[in-house]
Amino acid sequence: MSTIASFGFWSFVGIVAGIYTLFALGVQVQFGYAGLLNFGQVAFMGIGAYTMAILVVKEDLNMWLAAGCGIVLAILAGLLLGLPTLRLRADYFAITTIAFSEILRYVATNEDRLTGGSQGTINLAGIGQASQYDGAWQSFLGKVERNLHVGSDAAMLILVWTVALLAVAAVTLLMRTPWGRVLKSIREDEDAAASLGKNVFLYKLQALALGAALGALAGVFYAWQFSFFSPDDFAPLITFFAWMIVILGGLGRAWTVPVGALVFGVIFAGTRFFDFPPFSLLDSTERAYVRLIVIGLVIIGLMLFRPQGIFGSRKEMVLE
Amino acid sequence: MFMQLLANGLVTGSVIALAAAGVSIVYGILRLVNFAYGDYMTFGAFTAVYFNVTLELPIVTATLLAMLATALLSVAFELVLWRPLRARNAGFMSLFLVSVGLALVLRHVIYLVAGPQSRTYTVDPYKVYVIGSARLSGAQGIAIVVAAVGIVLVGILIARTGVGRMMRALADDLPLAAVAGVRTSRVILAAWVVSGLLAGLAGVLAGLVQTSFDPQLGFTLLLPIFAAVILGGIGNVYGALLGGLTLGLVMELSTWPELHGGVNPTYKPVVAFGTLILVLLLRPQGLFGRARVV
Amino acid sequence: MSSAILEVRDVVRTFGGLRAVDEASFHVDEGSITALIGPNGAGKSTLFNVISGFLSAERGTVQFEGRRIDRAPAHRIAQRGLVRTFQVPRALTRMSVLDNVLLAATRHPGERLNGLVLHPGRVRSRERKANERAAELLALFRLDTHAREYAGVLSGGQRKLLDFARVLMAEPRLVLLDEPMAGVNPALGRQLVEHVLRLRTETGMTFLFVEHDLDIVMEASDRVIVMNEGRVIASGTPAEVRGDQRVVDAYLGTARTT
Repeated sequence: MSTIASFGFWSFVGIVAGIYTLFALGVQVQFGYAGLLNFGQVAFMGIGAYTMAILVVKEDLNMWLAAGCGIVLAILAGLLLGLPTLRLRADYFAITTIAFSEILRYVATNEDRLTGGSQGTINLAGIGQASQYDGAWQSFLGKVERNLHVGSDAAMLILVWTVALLAVAAVTLLMRTPWGRVLKSIREDEDAAASLGKNVFLYKLQALALGAALGALAGVFYAWQFSFFSPDDFAPLITFFAWMIVILGGLGRAWTVPVGALVFGVIFAGTRFFDFPPFSLLDSTERAYVRLIVIGLVIIGLMLFRPQGIFGSRKEMVLE
Repeated sequence: MFMQLLANGLVTGSVIALAAAGVSIVYGILRLVNFAYGDYMTFGAFTAVYFNVTLELPIVTATLLAMLATALLSVAFELVLWRPLRARNAGFMSLFLVSVGLALVLRHVIYLVAGPQSRTYTVDPYKVYVIGSARLSGAQGIAIVVAAVGIVLVGILIARTGVGRMMRALADDLPLAAVAGVRTSRVILAAWVVSGLLAGLAGVLAGLVQTSFDPQLGFTLLLPIFAAVILGGIGNVYGALLGGLTLGLVMELSTWPELHGGVNPTYKPVVAFGTLILVLLLRPQGLFGRARVV
Repeated sequence: MSSAILEVRDVVRTFGGLRAVDEASFHVDEGSITALIGPNGAGKSTLFNVISGFLSAERGTVQFEGRRIDRAPAHRIAQRGLVRTFQVPRALTRMSVLDNVLLAATRHPGERLNGLVLHPGRVRSRERKANERAAELLALFRLDTHAREYAGVLSGGQRKLLDFARVLMAEPRLVLLDEPMAGVNPALGRQLVEHVLRLRTETGMTFLFVEHDLDIVMEASDRVIVMNEGRVIASGTPAEVRGDQRVVDAYLGTARTT
């Protein structure tokens, strides 16, 4: 039987989609609501994951506290990035954000003593001392399994999606408040917003920081799900996955993010299990190439044929 | 040591400069930040591998053929992708994301076809040029000479030729130039041809300089290239050339031990981004860009 | 004798080598309707952008209600009660007409994250008041039937009205109108003039407007300021300005060259 039909496969798709819902929700806040071209979102995911893992392994900090520190640090990093760059032209800002995420990735690769270097978190405690940061998480997950009488995949699925859907609901509510109204007005026309007394810079900064927090939250779950990660897990490509998800669903609507993330999850994880012809002719690395080609084609096709996404209306795109 | 770093900086810088000019020419006219440009370069580098290694042609012939092939690729994407997108009034974000998609497709098709293994051109590895206290490999020597010629040719093209003049007119004001009777679609095609030729050339040179390379070649250079484009003032071709040279020198010289021990060489790209961010903070219009009238 | 609500002194602003505004000085009396006129390229729009904080002045000062605003950012100037419109109305197209107006509510605790969390009661009551006021304004400008629609579906004329409603929602004491009559049909133009006259009488609001339609200028304004080549060349009552030889020359001069 094909793996496509197994629960293991679909729960993996679901967990990936849940994590990416949180991650892409950050981009939705930044671009979909506030119009910010942040192409460095993956940096915040990395900050969340690394901070949590480092504090747990090196400082023996409580897992929840460490995760909280990761999110706070990502918010601070967002403010630090935004302060000098948010006044730049949109295209300069976009490129600067990619540069920001790449700088952090280079630092994570080269500062072995802090991050374990290119070998990843396995070296966190130093070479030759295998380390793991998710012991407390695994035992928490075990408790959830026993209480709900489910397997570990299902428990993870439930936890990730509970958090993801709460975040989607929170963002949806937030965007209906007067605060969200100001954010949308900045996306539409920042001069008009400023002419009505709104401090555009301050709102952009807040949107960037909120998106950063969501990215870090996704990073923490990413770390827990995969039990190991390295700097290469935070390549610029990951940011573009989030953009694809947001545009798949449609801009300016938080509830469409989970749908986009599910479609992405199927493409991303699904192509990994293509074990039928013609894909069975390819070896696993070649199938990884095909997966990225498919994702590239989806992005191009989306922008060419349905830039408003699955749920957006063409009418809305042409309003001027 | 200092002279060696200076020489290395000129080599790296001239490769980045050529590529940055290629990005800038298209940006100036179409406001398109081409994220796939690094992979255009990789395409050029691998086409040259085919001509140079498989067909055993001399490296110069292989380079010219690779440039031609990359220019064709560049024009093909204009026709099937960018022109239709412009017809739909796609904005900055849409164009950028399409170029991201294109980068993914191109790079992984190259991976599928050529495989992930490292490649090397067939050039004499023992030939070494000694200039003062600096030593350059044969490949580096070729690279620096060819790049210098390329840079001069690009400068002449933009400043002296009719096509160059029209490109500048379009970069200033595309709708106005169209009204004034400039055949915009032809000039845009010409810009893609030049951009593609430069991508092919820069790709092969990057391959020569690094001696061995894989399909990540162009992508790893992309961000320093973007940094050079911004340093020069986006859309300003001369600025991009200067920005590239500046950045190459800054990257290499930052590792000079006399300079507080120098920066760890693996941090060279970080130095490039750091320079970029610093310059943007001090001069948001770029090092060589003019402030724009609002 | 009324006092000056706005005082512009020796303002200079250049683009490249061109002096768009060249030592311009004038004042606007509180409660007046003042027109700023001049041939194309006289520097009126640049001066508007300087006053409202969208461009910085290289030299000179701008005072609003006795306080300097020439170094203040645009949003701060608007918060102080000096609100502008744009030549082409800036409708926020993918937001509802109602939200466009609500956005302009001033001192709204719900526009701050800490306000939302700490004072939900205050947020609700402010939002209720804002909604009442917005409904009034939309009714006044006959936009109430479109309240829930995207502002992007409104016609050009309706967008002018929306812009005006939004400005009033911001409770300004001085309104800068950039060519309010441009692209508006005569009936609607008439309506706008009457709104301005009525608001001045009822609330004492001050208006400064740039306008090319000289008939409207002569009819609606108390004072006229004339600019040419970046400088203020004349000011006075409509009748005084009409008879001023420098003004006639300035307009004829451009008529000859264009």
